[in-house]
Amino acid sequence: MKKDKKGTLHQRVNRLGWGFVLLSIVSIGVFVFYPMIQSFITSFKSGMGNNLEFNGLDNYKRLLTDQNFRIALKNTLIYLVVQVPIMLLLALVISVMLNSTKLKFRGLFRVAIFLPSITSLVAYSTIFKSLFTNDGLMNKLLLSVGLISEQINWLADPFWAKITIIIAITWRWTGYNMIFYLAALQNIDTQVYEAAELDGANAIQKFFNITVPLLKPIILFTSITSTIGTLQLFDEVVNITGGGPANATMTLSQYIYNLSFMYTPNFGYAATVSYTIVVLVVGLSLIQLKYGGDKREEN
Amino acid sequence: MRKIKKPLMYLFLIVASFVSIFPFIWMMISSTNKSVEVTRGSLTLGSNLLVNYRNLVSNTNFWQVFGNSAFVAIITTVLGIIASSLAGYGFELYRSKSRDRVFSIILMSMMVPFAALMIPLYRLISQMGLINNYLAIILPGISTAFLIFFFRQNSKMFPKEIIEAARIDGLGEVRIFFSIYMPVMKSAYSAAGIITFMSTWNNFLWPLIVLQSPNKMTLPILISSLGSAYTPDFGVIMLSIVISTLPTGVLFFLMQKNFVQGMLGSVK
Amino acid sequence: MKKILSLLTILAMALTIVACGTKEDSNSDEQKITIWAWDKAFNIAALEEAKASYLKENPDVEIEIVEYAQDDLMQKLNTGLNSGVTEGLPNITLIEDYRIAGILASYPDAIMNLSDIVKYDDFAQYKVANMTVDGKQYGVPFDSGVTAMFYRTDLIEEAGFTVDEIDKGITWDRFIEIGKAVKEKTGVAMLTLDPSDFGLVRTMMQSAGTWYTNEEGKLDLIGNEKLEKILATYNKLMESGIVNQHTDWAQFVGAVNEGKAATVPTGCWFASSISQEESQSGTWRIAPVPKLADVADSTGYSNSGGSSWYVLNKVGNNELAADFLAKTFAGDVDLINTLVEKINLVTTYLPAATAENNTKENAYFSNQKIFELFGEWTEKIPPVKYGMNTYAIEDLLEIEYQKIDTSGISIEEVLKNTDAQAKSQLGIE
Repeated sequence: MKKDKKGTLHQRVNRLGWGFVLLSIVSIGVFVFYPMIQSFITSFKSGMGNNLEFNGLDNYKRLLTDQNFRIALKNTLIYLVVQVPIMLLLALVISVMLNSTKLKFRGLFRVAIFLPSITSLVAYSTIFKSLFTNDGLMNKLLLSVGLISEQINWLADPFWAKITIIIAITWRWTGYNMIFYLAALQNIDTQVYEAAELDGANAIQKFFNITVPLLKPIILFTSITSTIGTLQLFDEVVNITGGGPANATMTLSQYIYNLSFMYTPNFGYAATVSYTIVVLVVGLSLIQLKYGGDKREEN
Repeated sequence: MRKIKKPLMYLFLIVASFVSIFPFIWMMISSTNKSVEVTRGSLTLGSNLLVNYRNLVSNTNFWQVFGNSAFVAIITTVLGIIASSLAGYGFELYRSKSRDRVFSIILMSMMVPFAALMIPLYRLISQMGLINNYLAIILPGISTAFLIFFFRQNSKMFPKEIIEAARIDGLGEVRIFFSIYMPVMKSAYSAAGIITFMSTWNNFLWPLIVLQSPNKMTLPILISSLGSAYTPDFGVIMLSIVISTLPTGVLFFLMQKNFVQGMLGSVK
Repeated sequence: MKKILSLLTILAMALTIVACGTKEDSNSDEQKITIWAWDKAFNIAALEEAKASYLKENPDVEIEIVEYAQDDLMQKLNTGLNSGVTEGLPNITLIEDYRIAGILASYPDAIMNLSDIVKYDDFAQYKVANMTVDGKQYGVPFDSGVTAMFYRTDLIEEAGFTVDEIDKGITWDRFIEIGKAVKEKTGVAMLTLDPSDFGLVRTMMQSAGTWYTNEEGKLDLIGNEKLEKILATYNKLMESGIVNQHTDWAQFVGAVNEGKAATVPTGCWFASSISQEESQSGTWRIAPVPKLADVADSTGYSNSGGSSWYVLNKVGNNELAADFLAKTFAGDVDLINTLVEKINLVTTYLPAATAENNTKENAYFSNQKIFELFGEWTEKIPPVKYGMNTYAIEDLLEIEYQKIDTSGISIEEVLKNTDAQAKSQLGIE
């Protein structure tokens, strides 16, 4: 491979840099950004099916009085704030445990905990639904242990239905995030831990003072991708509670789907709701990048 | 102190594992049962496995669809991780202000719900003449902000000294990527491979929209159609799900040893 | 490095193979039609029979039947119609009756007008009502979703009531009375419901000839006395302690099969799900659904679900597609008769209502001639226009309905709030 030795080092690096990323930029530009811009334009139109007409900012104004939107937004944010931190912490703790060479059966634990993320949506939503019915296993267990005194209406009570969804998401995606942490942990030199142990550090100190800081890039990655995933939550809500009872668990994505395909389609307004998700995601991601990113990125 | 912690850890992991596996096991048991038994939530092995299998293959073109899914998933995964890792590496190792700005814009593409992109994308694909063509699924899937982000973050954890050393030794940049970066980042590539395969394999919405012929369909579409009936056969549905979960499971099993090897070994 | 290069070469070759994919052109002279539908055992099976029958007279025609889940089919249809891309759309598709008005309004000219090709007088009027716009008819009606109250004779008799009384048709108030006794004496709930599914409300509405919207498609919530009484009855039912709760289809079927419900007021298509539980054979009967006591025009006949066939205008050979439908589902009595037996079809094609298979006795259902009864009742279903926003309005109604419990509002307020939300959200009056 011949390099262009005539350019300065800086120019060469620059050309290489663009070379490495070119295919991706073109691909994303064509297949994501182009539709994204078209969709943004659509968000200013309204009408049934094909009869879309511009109506200025009316769609965005409609958001303000839309009860469904408010409920969906509230639910989505609740899931985000409660579920993501719990799940990531759980995944982190588990992956650290499974990284220890002294633990037996590590392989089995790993496969087991990862299994939920490849278990089919239909299968586990059916199971969750039957486990969490009024006379299902979950209630029977809790009653027999004495933790509750009467049945919890997991699926038809507005509060408990949300809890059920949170349990479902955590169950499904903890193993998935665990994989990322496990992969990253492989790149941490064990000598660092050995040195800390010689200094008298215990497990908790090692975790917070060594592991977490070294894993920061990956933690940031999972935090942002989980945020995006939860803000776009659709599958679990549609399949386990159907958004119910009475929209108590409905998310923004489900509302968009309803607007596009369940009701008489209003793709314009659906696009508008989609863009509120974009705004939320961009906002939250920027915050996370700022606090979790490299200091170098601030030049 | 240490002695108490170990058993607690094992207990925690055992409970976590059991909770994780249980639905999967129920799924396998259900695939051997009759539909009525499945809706009853039966936990005992039935004798309907062969019957369910026969119903599945005689009523649908299951294995053809399975092959289709495999074809699309494998190509998209391989091309995807190569293209995305090149980009992630490029963004991180050849940093520049303008490229960082481009990177932030690319990240934004993850943030739009697919439902909003679907119709304009469909029109675009139609203009390209790619409706009902697997390229319509593969091309958009080759580069995702998700993977680029993943590889970039992993590249941050990559020891740059090795690259400096290789440059001093006279190795070309592209050679460095393929002969040094890739082998060292085996665990990241394995993770990315599994995740990408999984998401392409289970990809439902876009293939549903863009594929038209029954003999080109992918697995999730077929399985979805099994459930939409006045009287669905839940035994058959569960069996189809079990079989469709196997490839990802097997892939994970094969790849997971890459999470175990330390980095020190591969560098030397 | 070499490994990667060879891998890439193989992939490049694979991709070029993929790229030279088959491009199927559809032009209007082609003798090919593509049909979309859901449910292998029901709609698809019906299509296979129709195809076989049509091919006897027209052996050169190619008919492709594609199966999708109903929601998936609607997504594909909406995406295709909205993006203006006709490539890949079918010639004929099945669409649920609750949804057709929305499709007709959203995509004018997309569906073919069949007024001159099909004899609409041959069909049950309630089906035709929903595919009529400005005096023109657009599809071919298919299955009847006529509702029945399926009930367990053994449980009813154990509680001290007679089959005679139920068969003649009771009122909802009486239903609740009987239900309490059944619960007390047998421990079994009277019926099983999904709290977030207002299907029963819809059934009640149609049985009384009313709906969320009126004939002109305008909201009919405020001041709709029938609807007020329906919601009051529904509320009484839910509060009476005789309802078993389920949360999805599988659980619904499971509950009935396991004997957790003494009655099932729902569409006739549920018969197959009930009869898959062999141990209960002979203990089931059907009766008209309960009436609303204090509502004028209240009948024991209603509809739940049901779909019809539609031809897409701008796709391929739509004349051929229309001919296919006209000669099969809109003209072939023998075909329909076969389907009655093969797939338990309850037809809305009146000339076939008296055909042979309809008069057979059904051992599972206490030797009643259930198809004869279904046919009779189908003709008595009050025609109601579903309008374009059934599911949307219902979702809004469900939110407000919850507030009866949580905020103690009245039913009039529920309707008033729903009306306000519907007006601001859906832009309808």
